[in-house]
Amino acid sequence: MDLTLLPQALVSGVLASGLYALVAVGLALAIGVIGIVNFAHGEFFMVGAFLAYQLFVSFGFDPLLSILFVAPVLFVIGAAIYSSTIRFVLKAPELNQMLLTFGIGIVLQNLALMVWGGDPRSIGGVPYRAMGIQLGGVSVGLVPLGSFVVSVLLVGALYWVLARTPLGRAMRAVAQNRVGAGLVGLEVNRVYLVAFGLSALLAGIGGVMIAVIQSPTPTVGLAYTLKAFAIVVLAGLGNIRGIVSAAIVVALAESLVATLVPNGDALRNAVFFALILGTLVYRSWRRP
Amino acid sequence: MKKLYAVLFAAVVGLASAQPVTIGILSPLTGGAAGTGQAQRAGFELALKEINEAGGVLGQPLRIVIEDDRADPATAVAAFEKLMTEDGVEFIAGGFSSGATLALVESFRTFQPIVSWIGGASSGIGNDDFDGIEELLGQEEWFFHIHPWDYQNVEATFDFIRDLGVQSVAVLHEDGAFGTPGAAGLEAGVEAMGIDVVLREAFTSTLAGGTGDFRATLSKVGAANPDMLYWIGYDSDAQPLSSQLKELGVAPKFVFGAPPGWPTGIEQAPEMECVMGLIGYLPNLPNPEAVAFAEAYRQMHGTYPDNYMAALAYTQLWSYADAINAAGTTDQAAVIEKLKTMTFRSPMGEWSFKPSTVAKHQGFGADMWLVFQFQNGVREIVWPADRATAPLAACR
Repeated sequence: MDLTLLPQALVSGVLASGLYALVAVGLALAIGVIGIVNFAHGEFFMVGAFLAYQLFVSFGFDPLLSILFVAPVLFVIGAAIYSSTIRFVLKAPELNQMLLTFGIGIVLQNLALMVWGGDPRSIGGVPYRAMGIQLGGVSVGLVPLGSFVVSVLLVGALYWVLARTPLGRAMRAVAQNRVGAGLVGLEVNRVYLVAFGLSALLAGIGGVMIAVIQSPTPTVGLAYTLKAFAIVVLAGLGNIRGIVSAAIVVALAESLVATLVPNGDALRNAVFFALILGTLVYRSWRRP
Repeated sequence: MKKLYAVLFAAVVGLASAQPVTIGILSPLTGGAAGTGQAQRAGFELALKEINEAGGVLGQPLRIVIEDDRADPATAVAAFEKLMTEDGVEFIAGGFSSGATLALVESFRTFQPIVSWIGGASSGIGNDDFDGIEELLGQEEWFFHIHPWDYQNVEATFDFIRDLGVQSVAVLHEDGAFGTPGAAGLEAGVEAMGIDVVLREAFTSTLAGGTGDFRATLSKVGAANPDMLYWIGYDSDAQPLSSQLKELGVAPKFVFGAPPGWPTGIEQAPEMECVMGLIGYLPNLPNPEAVAFAEAYRQMHGTYPDNYMAALAYTQLWSYADAINAAGTTDQAAVIEKLKTMTFRSPMGEWSFKPSTVAKHQGFGADMWLVFQFQNGVREIVWPADRATAPLAACR
């Protein structure tokens, strides 16, 4: 165990938590507001990544700039999927809802396979991708720093919308009681549509960031969907406010294990599964 | 009445013999290894077109049935059994992923068709705790393996590494059936040359659910300060490994990657400059078959082949067609004999099945591999010298 690597592990873990939080908060929004466990969340992320890739290849758009295009497109895709499929299963058993979202994920994955093929696609000339600022033996990468800042701003903006705006109050109201919110005049379906669109938008922006970090494939969303589920479970299903702290716990735990344990990077998946297991056992033990 | 039966019998036999030869193919068309599967499919499609334009197999157009195994063990077994029972094929081709291949071993033994298998490079040689594909299937008369075994993959670079004059190597590898035995073989071979392996570390590949954050592992490389970093992983690991290495300021003299392929467009990334890699085929390989294959591929698919699995799939289907035509029958023993004794053409040059450490029928060996280096956005072949397109650039 080389403790001299600890500062780098802490910095890398905290910076990674931003993207984790961004992806997880979208998933939590769908679960918390609409009550849908969206297994296609990672595919929104993947679509965002491929759109950023395509904008770069076709028009030379810098990926950061492409967020301005990708975000509204993903909102529209999310809203369209909600209107055409999700809203019809809101009162169906949970298993049906999960199967539907799982199917949507498979459809999106295979559409991507048809359009972009199965090869990983690299956004070639991004001049800042490999840049890092050296601070006392610790490297702060521009890309992880940028994705952390963007994620914090977006998650903060979402919290502000939920806490301070009429739309946010409407979302919280339908989350608490769908029927009651409808009785007092809220258009529940419209609130759900906006929430699902926002969820897809946040995942899509996360996807743009991953298009810079790695090479997108049709299955690139899977890893982040798993992380997002771990974070959502850790925060408590539907608890949007707990997402940031849960993301920091997951990202730091992974980074510390990967750095301080021999072959620790190979244990990354074990770390978040252990966190899910530990959380569920703790919750069941706490509740008599 | 007897005459009528004789005519009917002759007609049935005639119809049966006029059935086109069908080859069943298993390939990961979707899922995490879809890049490889799609490349294989593109190679099969080109070979099929050329074979049928050249007269087909036994006077009939050749047929192929491609099943998607997703490089997933359970899916691969189901897809193989479907090919054998529903499609009734006698010849199996395709193949990728050691994990999926290991799952297929018992099914192969149950049905015992002729299996010509591209991937599944995990030999098990040198690993007492693990029975690999070469150990499990290599002695079977009906099993033919095309891609070099894992130990041949790393053997190919030993001479190159020695020529570089490095004193120490750090080995990073994905933690699956592909990277782990390969890293073990690399470590043993490099140490036998008197070079220190200062770090050997496993990582979660992006293909296996990893997020592509390799900073923790690369920090360990920085602390070990090797002359050379050698990593064994998958295509989609290449970009984050290379960019994060620079981001962290970790700068070994040489960086060498050994994934099965490289992402489309990665050569344009500035951080890839000087990174070296192992590859089985490149369109700029200086031999006429390579050029002809590249041009035919571009005409059919619109781009040059950038994954050597396309060349291997093309080669595999042609070898089946040549062997069955030479045998003049689909009889298993006759086709096996031709596969064992014939020399085939390929974009990589002439080749034939020869014994390897355990296997009776191994196609390509260590000499298939080329070392390339990213130089100014192009993959230049820098080793071996007789096939080099540019000298090795000294970058650090």
